[in-house]
Amino acid sequence: MDPRSTLRDLLIKAINSRVTRFVISVLPLAAGLLATIYVQNFLDPVPILAFRVDIGIAALLFGSFLTLLLGAYFFGDESRGWFARGEMDDVRREMEENRRQFIRRLDHEIKNPLTGLQAALVNMSEASADADRRRAGENARHALERLKRLLADLRKLAELENRPIERLPVDVPALLEDVTEAVRSLPAAQDRKINLLIARVPWPFPPVTGDRDLLSLVFYNLLENALKFTARGDSVEARTLEDGKAIVVEVADSGAGIAPAELPKIFDELYRGVNARGTEGSGLGLALTRRIVILHGGSLEVRSRQDDPRGTVFTVRLPAARK
Amino acid sequence: MPKDDRPLILLADDDPSIADTLAPFLERAGFHVLTVSDGAAALDKIRSRRPALVILDVLMPRMDGREALRRIRRENLWLPAILLTQVGESSERALALEEGADDYLNKPFDPHELLARIRAVLRRARPGERSLSASWTLSALDLVLDRKARRASLKGDPLDLTPKAFAVLEYLMTHPDECVSRERLLEAVWGWEYPAGTRTVDTRMAELRRALNDDPESPRYIETVPAEGYRFAAPVKGE
Repeated sequence: MDPRSTLRDLLIKAINSRVTRFVISVLPLAAGLLATIYVQNFLDPVPILAFRVDIGIAALLFGSFLTLLLGAYFFGDESRGWFARGEMDDVRREMEENRRQFIRRLDHEIKNPLTGLQAALVNMSEASADADRRRAGENARHALERLKRLLADLRKLAELENRPIERLPVDVPALLEDVTEAVRSLPAAQDRKINLLIARVPWPFPPVTGDRDLLSLVFYNLLENALKFTARGDSVEARTLEDGKAIVVEVADSGAGIAPAELPKIFDELYRGVNARGTEGSGLGLALTRRIVILHGGSLEVRSRQDDPRGTVFTVRLPAARK
Repeated sequence: MPKDDRPLILLADDDPSIADTLAPFLERAGFHVLTVSDGAAALDKIRSRRPALVILDVLMPRMDGREALRRIRRENLWLPAILLTQVGESSERALALEEGADDYLNKPFDPHELLARIRAVLRRARPGERSLSASWTLSALDLVLDRKARRASLKGDPLDLTPKAFAVLEYLMTHPDECVSRERLLEAVWGWEYPAGTRTVDTRMAELRRALNDDPESPRYIETVPAEGYRFAAPVKGE
């Protein structure tokens, strides 16, 4: 290690310590006091102003002024630390609460498919007819698929925390066309209309810098969700435009909508709204979607109404790449 | 007793629920299966029994699968190896390749998928020879792949490939003449399932073909197998 840098570290540490700060603060006052005593006792007071303020008193005044100034500065610094510590405690408490809630929800999400799996295995070993055994096997596989999907989504979420994402130009309209095409082949899409609107006039879209595969997951999740929470005959629409700074993608549906009380929670990990209780899915889709959008420097918002006219609109804003 | 001529597979996994269920499954598929529960034991058995293939779990007590594989290769044992990774991170998979695994599967997997991997790896295996998966440089016709530097060149000119496209090419070249499904590529290269995944693969493949100047109608390198996937058709040499 470089001895000079150790010395500097020591110096910085010394200046930051509380004792040093106190000593530095009080030093001018003490010096002023000493100067006063010295002047009064050993020298004849030398008047410096007409109303007889001698040089000792002047030093005392100057010293106390400096002490006040330094003290106020150091105190401010310290108290800022106290406030920050309070905030940290709040954040820590909130994180702790989130973690507990997450585990409760996870427990719930695992319990159901496991119960199904257990029952299916019992049926499989006790059923005598081949058809019953086959049905039990199907049920077991179904429960297994649910667990696998949950695990896969959990892993995605964990990986997004620490893996670097690709940063390449992505053509959002082309990506949306691909994703819409893929979503149209889902069974639920057969009796619902899915429209894609791309505002191409007057300029072509600037690209977005990011990970094409992750972004495709964003739009796929939003469109798949829209299909999940709409009924036969409802419409789903994806539309995109650029507003000079960002590329805006909206995914809208005329489905049942989300209750206002639930709206702020739908992006939470494993949160399930009342409407979502019966539907398939890991409960992590929107959390994952938002995480990806944020990693791209964008934002994800939602508006929803349950009264007439009802429906939901998700808005993704992704910063346009600079030329 | 007649001599057992079924291929011998060594399965190393410390979790009995996996070893106990996979072994009978593989036996039914026509293999002779030997199970051990840690890397050191796997190494001993490889030396004494010379299995045709080894399946190694990554996380094991005493010696993990990766270290075991490294030692196997250091002893110049080139038997095919399949690594069962537990962590889905892409870095993990890159490492698996670096240590010379011929293929790898993410847990949890469908046992049929494992069987398909075993058969493909055995078909490709040239016993005693260094496998393509353990080679740092791969070449096919005018194409050269430098796996350590993550660079590819065509007739000496460097190719401008995205990291994903490079990884796809790498997987195809280490599994030449094998029909690789889009799902398999997604799992091996992306490590994630993508809902719109097959399109994702096709996009990268189009990028690769453009870069390789490969005509999909009469390809020199990458063939499309209709309704199945892709195949690297050119002969590959490893160094």
